[in-house]
Amino acid sequence: MPFPPSQRIAITGAGIVSPLGLGWEANERSLAADRSAFRPVDFFDTSGLIAKTAGVVDLPTESPFRTLPARKQSHVDRSTRMLLLAIREALAQAGRNGMEGIDALVIGTSAGAMPLGEAYFENAQHAPGRIPSQLSRAEHYQPQRQINSIADEFGWRGPVIIVSNACASGANAIGWAADMIRSGRCKRVLAGGFDALARLVFAGFDSLRALAPSGIPRPFDAQRDGLALGEGAAVMLLEAEDARQSAALGDVAGYSTATDLHHLTQPDPEGKAAIRTMTSACAQAGVSPAHIGYINSHGTGTPFNDVAEASAIAAWAGDAVSTIPVSSTKSAMGHLLGGAGAVEAVICLMALRGQWLPASLNVRTMDPAVRFDLVQKFRQARFEHALTNSFGFGGTNATLVLQRRSA
Amino acid sequence: MNLDGIHIRGVGAVSSAGWSADDLLRTVREGNPLPTVNCARPGDERTWPCPVRLVPPPPPDKTARHPRLRRSSAITRYSVAAALGALVDAGHDPAALPPGLGILFVMMNGCVNYTGRFFNEVLQNPAQASPLIFPETVFNAPASHIASFLGIDGVVSTQVGSSNAIVEALDTAAFWIRSGIVEECLIIAAEECDWLSAEALTYYHPKFIAAEGAGALLLSAKSTGPQVREVVGPLCYTSWDERAALLPDLAAQTRAKLTGAAILIDDRCGIHRIDRAEQAAWSGAQWQAVRSPKLILGESMGASSALQLVLGTLEARDTHQPVVISMPGANTAAYACVITP
Repeated sequence: MPFPPSQRIAITGAGIVSPLGLGWEANERSLAADRSAFRPVDFFDTSGLIAKTAGVVDLPTESPFRTLPARKQSHVDRSTRMLLLAIREALAQAGRNGMEGIDALVIGTSAGAMPLGEAYFENAQHAPGRIPSQLSRAEHYQPQRQINSIADEFGWRGPVIIVSNACASGANAIGWAADMIRSGRCKRVLAGGFDALARLVFAGFDSLRALAPSGIPRPFDAQRDGLALGEGAAVMLLEAEDARQSAALGDVAGYSTATDLHHLTQPDPEGKAAIRTMTSACAQAGVSPAHIGYINSHGTGTPFNDVAEASAIAAWAGDAVSTIPVSSTKSAMGHLLGGAGAVEAVICLMALRGQWLPASLNVRTMDPAVRFDLVQKFRQARFEHALTNSFGFGGTNATLVLQRRSA
Repeated sequence: MNLDGIHIRGVGAVSSAGWSADDLLRTVREGNPLPTVNCARPGDERTWPCPVRLVPPPPPDKTARHPRLRRSSAITRYSVAAALGALVDAGHDPAALPPGLGILFVMMNGCVNYTGRFFNEVLQNPAQASPLIFPETVFNAPASHIASFLGIDGVVSTQVGSSNAIVEALDTAAFWIRSGIVEECLIIAAEECDWLSAEALTYYHPKFIAAEGAGALLLSAKSTGPQVREVVGPLCYTSWDERAALLPDLAAQTRAKLTGAAILIDDRCGIHRIDRAEQAAWSGAQWQAVRSPKLILGESMGASSALQLVLGTLEARDTHQPVVISMPGANTAAYACVITP
C-alpha cells in the first residue's frame, strides 16, 4: 500500500563520499563529465592478485573531527572518516550543526573496520605473547565502536543500528530507517552505508574471479568480465513529513526486501527476488514501472549479475521496459559494497534534483539481455521517480524508490 | 519501545550447556560453572592461559542436513539448531512452515573461524586463497543458509552490534509483524568461538572466559504465551563510565514497573571490574531467584542476550512469574525488559 501523505518520508539532507569526489557537488560534476575513478591500490599488498585497481577515495589530509580528542581519533579507521564526512554534509544540507534531535542512526556496512581486525590477526599470529596494543584493535574493529566516535564527535547519544546484508546493507539501512519513521517509532533518522577497501575483501572477490582483470568494469557489456571494487559512504537524513524541520529534497517513497535462495553468491538467473522487490517497492510508492524515470541498477559488471538483473527488469517492467533509462554508476566508481546502496540512493536523489541521468560507462557492445534504455552518456531528463536496486551475497535483494520534490 | 501484543511463541538454544533450551535452563538453574578448556592456538604456543567454554559435539538428532550446510561454519550449525528448536517449540513442522516467516539475525563477531582461515590463506598466498571460504566470512552468510534451509524467501536480515543488539531486533520484528511484512519472525543471535576472539577477551581481563552458542525466539502476534514487556532503554553511552552512571536509572525504571515478586536474569560474568556497576544497580531488591548465565556458560558475546531472553521465557513459562532481564551491553546502549508469563 502507498504511504498516506501524512506518512511521507522526506529526505532533508544527503551526504556522499565516493571515489568520484567528496560531497554532492564533486560527485555531480564527475558524473556529468562521465568520469571514472579507478587507480592502483597502494595501501595494501595486491601482489599475487589478478586485480590491482579499485575506486579509491581521496580523503582530505586534515582530520574530519573537530571535537574528538586526538587520542580517540587515532582509533578511527578510514571507513568511519568517510562516514563522518557524509554525515556532516547531510546535516549541513538540512541546516543542522549537529545531531541534536536525531532519533537514531541506522548504518549499513559489510566490512566495518576490517583493517583493524586484519592488524589484530597479523599481530596475534606472529606473537605468542601478549601485546598490549591488541586490546585497542580488538575493541575498535567493531563497527559499533567506530560509530561511537561519531556519536562522541557530536556529543550525541542515541540508538545505533548496524545492518549487515552484504552489498545491500546501505539500501536496507535506508529502508529500515524509513520503516522506523513510518511506524511512528522515530521522527528523524540518519541512515546510510559505508565501507572502505580492505585486503581480505579485495582478495576474497579476487579469489572468486569476480574482479575485472583489466580493472575496468563494464556493466551490461556483452563481454563484461567482472566488477571493480570501490569505497565510500553516503547518508540521508530522513524525517517524518509531519515533523519535518528542513526543506525536503525528495522522498523515500518505497522500499522492499526479499531473499533469493538460489545460491550464496550467485543470483537466480531470472532475478525472481528482484522482481518481487521492484514490484513491492513500487506498490508502496503508488507507481507502476512506467512511472519510473530512472533505475540505478545494481549493475556490478559480473556476467551472472547483469543478465539476471536485466531479465528481472524486463519481466517487471513488461511493455514499459524499452522506455526506462537504466545505468550502473558502479561503472564509474566501482562496487562500494556496504556503502553501495546508500551511495546509489543519494545519486538517485541528486539525479532527481538535477533532472539528469548518470551514465553506464565502458560499454562497447550491449548484452543482448538488455531491453531497457541503457544510458551510456550523461544526459538531461524529466522524471519524478527513481528506483535503485541492491543485491548482495546471501541472496539479499533490496529496492528503494525515491520521489522528486520540486526545488 | 512497545512490544505489546507480540508473544514469544517458541524458543531454542545451543550453548556450552548443550544443544537445547532445556539444557540451558537446567544448567543455569543448577548454578555450577561449566568446566573450561584451554583454547587451541595454531602455530606457536600461547604464553598465557586462555580458557574457553565451547559447545559440546552435537547429538545425532541435532545435525541438520542440507547442501548449504555442508561447508557452513559452527555459527550456522548452532543457529540452525536453535531455530529448529524454536520452531518445534512453537508447534511448527519445520518441513512444512507456513508462509510469511521472516528472519532477523544478530551477531557481534560473526563468522570468525572462516574469516581467520581465509585471511591466513591471503597472507600465505592470495592466489591460492579459497573461493569457497570467502563467501562464508560475510556477516549475513548464516542468515542466508538458514533461509535456504527453511525455504524462507521473504524478509531476511542481519544486524551487527553489541551483545544486546537483539533488543533492537525485537523492536524491528514487532514492526514487521504489526505492519504485515511478516506473519511471524524468527530472531536468532549467535556467535562462534575462535582463538582470536577468545584471546581478545583475555585482554579485557585474564579471567574472561569466551563461549559460543545461539539463541532463537519465534515472535508472533497470533499466539499466547510469554511476552517481552516493559522494555527500558536504550540508555545510550559511548564509554564505560557513562555506562556505569546509567545503570542505576535502568534498574530503577525497570523495578518501578514490577508489582510483585520476580526473577532476575543478569549479565554478570564473574569479573568484579566489569560486573560491579550492574550488581550495584540491581542490589537492594528482593528477587525470587537470580540467574547469571554468563557465570555458568561464559561470555558468548553476540549470543549472550539471546540466551538470557530464552532463559527468561522458559523461567516465565515454568514459574508463572515475571522475569527481569538485565542487558547493560558493552558498547553502545543498556536495556532491560520484563518477560511476563
